[in-house]
Amino acid sequence: MSEAFKLQPLDIEEYKLDNGLRVVLNKDNAVPVVSIAVYYNVGSRNERPGRTGFAHLFEHMMFQGSENVPKAGHFQFIMKAGGTMNGTTSSERTNYYETLPADQLPLALWLESDRMRSLAVTQENLDNQREAVKEEKRLRYDNQPYGQIFDLINEMIFKNFANSHSTIGSMEHLDDASVEDVQEFFRIYYAPNNAVLSISGSFQTEEAKKLVETYFGDISSQPLPPELDVNEPIEIANIYREWEDKLAPFPAFLIGWKIPKRRSPEFNALYLAGKMLYDGDSSRLYQKLVKGDESVIQLFGFTDERRGPSSIFIGAIPKPDKDLSKIRDVIMHEIRDIAANGPDPKEMQKVSNQLVNDAVRTRQSSMSRAQHIAEFALYDGDPNFFNTELDELLAITPDQIRSAVDKYLNTENRALLDVVPAAKG
Amino acid sequence: MTGTDFRKIPPQPLQPIEFTVPGVFETTLENGLRIVVLQDNRLPLVSYRLAFNWGDINDPTESIGVTSAMASMLNEGTANYSSRQLADEIERLGASISVHASDDFTVMSASTLSLYSTEIMRLVAEMTLRPSFPEDELDLYRRNTVEHLKFQRSQPGFLANEQAARLIFGSHPYSRVSPSAEDIEKLTREDLSIAHDLAFIPNNAVFIIVGDVDREEIVRQIDDLFGSWPKSQLTEMAFPEFAGRNRRSLTIVDRPGSAQSNIVLANSAIDRKSPDYFPMLVMNQILGAGASSRVFMNLREEKGYTYGAYTRLDAKRLGGDFEATAEVRTAVTGDSLKEFFYELDRIRTERVPDEEMSDAKNFLTGVFPLRAETQEGMTNLVVNRFLYDLPENYLQSYRANVEAVTADDVQRVAERYVRPQEMAMVIVGDAKEIIPQASSYADAVEIFDTEGNPINVSDQEAAAN
Repeated sequence: MSEAFKLQPLDIEEYKLDNGLRVVLNKDNAVPVVSIAVYYNVGSRNERPGRTGFAHLFEHMMFQGSENVPKAGHFQFIMKAGGTMNGTTSSERTNYYETLPADQLPLALWLESDRMRSLAVTQENLDNQREAVKEEKRLRYDNQPYGQIFDLINEMIFKNFANSHSTIGSMEHLDDASVEDVQEFFRIYYAPNNAVLSISGSFQTEEAKKLVETYFGDISSQPLPPELDVNEPIEIANIYREWEDKLAPFPAFLIGWKIPKRRSPEFNALYLAGKMLYDGDSSRLYQKLVKGDESVIQLFGFTDERRGPSSIFIGAIPKPDKDLSKIRDVIMHEIRDIAANGPDPKEMQKVSNQLVNDAVRTRQSSMSRAQHIAEFALYDGDPNFFNTELDELLAITPDQIRSAVDKYLNTENRALLDVVPAAKG
Repeated sequence: MTGTDFRKIPPQPLQPIEFTVPGVFETTLENGLRIVVLQDNRLPLVSYRLAFNWGDINDPTESIGVTSAMASMLNEGTANYSSRQLADEIERLGASISVHASDDFTVMSASTLSLYSTEIMRLVAEMTLRPSFPEDELDLYRRNTVEHLKFQRSQPGFLANEQAARLIFGSHPYSRVSPSAEDIEKLTREDLSIAHDLAFIPNNAVFIIVGDVDREEIVRQIDDLFGSWPKSQLTEMAFPEFAGRNRRSLTIVDRPGSAQSNIVLANSAIDRKSPDYFPMLVMNQILGAGASSRVFMNLREEKGYTYGAYTRLDAKRLGGDFEATAEVRTAVTGDSLKEFFYELDRIRTERVPDEEMSDAKNFLTGVFPLRAETQEGMTNLVVNRFLYDLPENYLQSYRANVEAVTADDVQRVAERYVRPQEMAMVIVGDAKEIIPQASSYADAVEIFDTEGNPINVSDQEAAAN
């Protein structure tokens, strides 16, 4: 990587309203577009037993109207202003976002503030969204081949309920959710002092600040939610499970490891190791398994980053009649090789170029910037980590990668999920 | 206003900021290769598209699947690089090069940090001009593709599209969403070479570069790398007509134990250059393109039948279709059809109210600059304008063309291109559950298994009773 290459840092300004709402501004007038993101510090990890899936069901309720916005009004106001919007829920947080022509900044702030201060909850809307969420679960998980394997392996990796249960939840628990549950959740978690508002794109700073104060300034803060314990023992919960998948056409397997939290040097080192192992046609496992041995149809891997114990996965759908244990041996062989010898210099160079490329791409759209700075503000208390993230990753040494792979991947302390196609009929 | 009264009505927008669509620079090499450059220096990135007016529909009948195979094999070896060397070299730069054939076009897409632009351009030229189609790599491609073909049969969306395309396009090659295993197994190196010669001719291509480049420098580089590529005669092809349809049909793909029914309702519609394109765009926006459109509001927000219900306009070079789609829980398959047909009839028979018209148009004009925010987004806008041979001021006049659509236009195109009485209804799911709910919507029903083999309908009806 050329030393001369330096990314221009983003112009980021952070401040806090009296009610505790953290606000992050990133001005960039290149295109007359503005993006707004609101990140609430609540995700499926905050759910209680018996209410899995609730944080996500709640996200749907945020589109069902508030004091001054009718049911479905959110979609309609944004779309007729020429904007796009959505919301998502993860284990860590729930986010809501809009991208609009720049002159529509007040509209986005009006909509987001109205639902932060006065969500309207009715039994009818809850019942309706419960059905929509169940269809989402069927569509994305239950009716897809291999659709449930990541939720299953999380239960095998993590022992702490906060970490182990799925974000989509169970049908039974979705059925049990009541209007009172929704109101309670709103009161505890959807307070300005439990959220970050970020604005990126084309705006005038003073005007934006005034609008933010107007719309969000009078929303009452709440006592902070109870502390959450996401700690985990090093040991995983369950090392082996066989799972019959009635939709899967081929056997498959997924290996999962428990690893340290996001942005720790070990996590970063394992993130880079993952790129070397499974990312792209030049990766070690692609060259060994898809090319060399020609034994797998599909190879995949990724890291799941969390503020607490996190995870990394490698999975494969082997060709028919291939010996799955041999494929796993190849994976472990490469892991042992990195654990013993570390990555080679060419791999380091490749990964650093890829990191720079990723960092540049992440800066392209106002929505991507708004989301990243909100996330750093929420998780790390400082949105400027967006500007230093690349340097943090580039600073990881081959030996850090070697030792993290040795400690966290080169171990029997890993979960293996075998997917077996169920007999048809 | 005092207190919280200001919250009662949506706020007025601020002063609007004009978005100017940037102009492009165009030139043509002596061999006919068109070059389009859009300089964008916001970030140190470059995107490239080398696009050929030649796609899967141009497969010779004796080598179906060859255009896609040829495209996929371009990064599996060239005169000077092995497959491994190409992968190593491209990824070493943190860059990407991929090639994809669709029905109408074959497009090589590349992107890189601008400091590696020269290296990537050289590799694009190497893959374009000097592919070697190594026998062992082709063998692996054949075997992997056959497995992928099996795999996609486990996915309900694929099964629905396969049937819908067959029913709409008949013997036209648009009906083929995927080659068969037999097609793939018989492809030879020579077939790929022939396909390469047919497709990759400079006078049938456009090379689009968007990003942080020097315009004169990039044109000079392209001339160095591609200037000696010889001009060639474009092979003209004739295609059969689409399937003629005059009544509604029901096709079920039986997927026993399915948790949902995947519904696709389709009829043929317009090609990409149709004068009805903009009215159709607005009509589709009102009816089903988004989360505030009619079918979504009805099937999801009111009824809770589905996670999402949409309509879709697919306008290809030679024609296309209009589709309504949703994945619904099996028990409400029939109820969902009822609501779909209610909405499909309503857009034809009732004039769209003014407010709904302006909401849809405001969306389409407003999101236009959003699509130009990223380099990839901007590149795609430019690519489509050239591939579909749209008017030179297409991007500049896009918003005015949307604005010009009237409620009468919308009703006219709905009557013409939304034809519930002759739609192909395709439902992938548990046939024995679906038949009792759906059979009253069509005179006849045909059933297939997930392999595409017909199943005897009376057996299924017996199981349903």
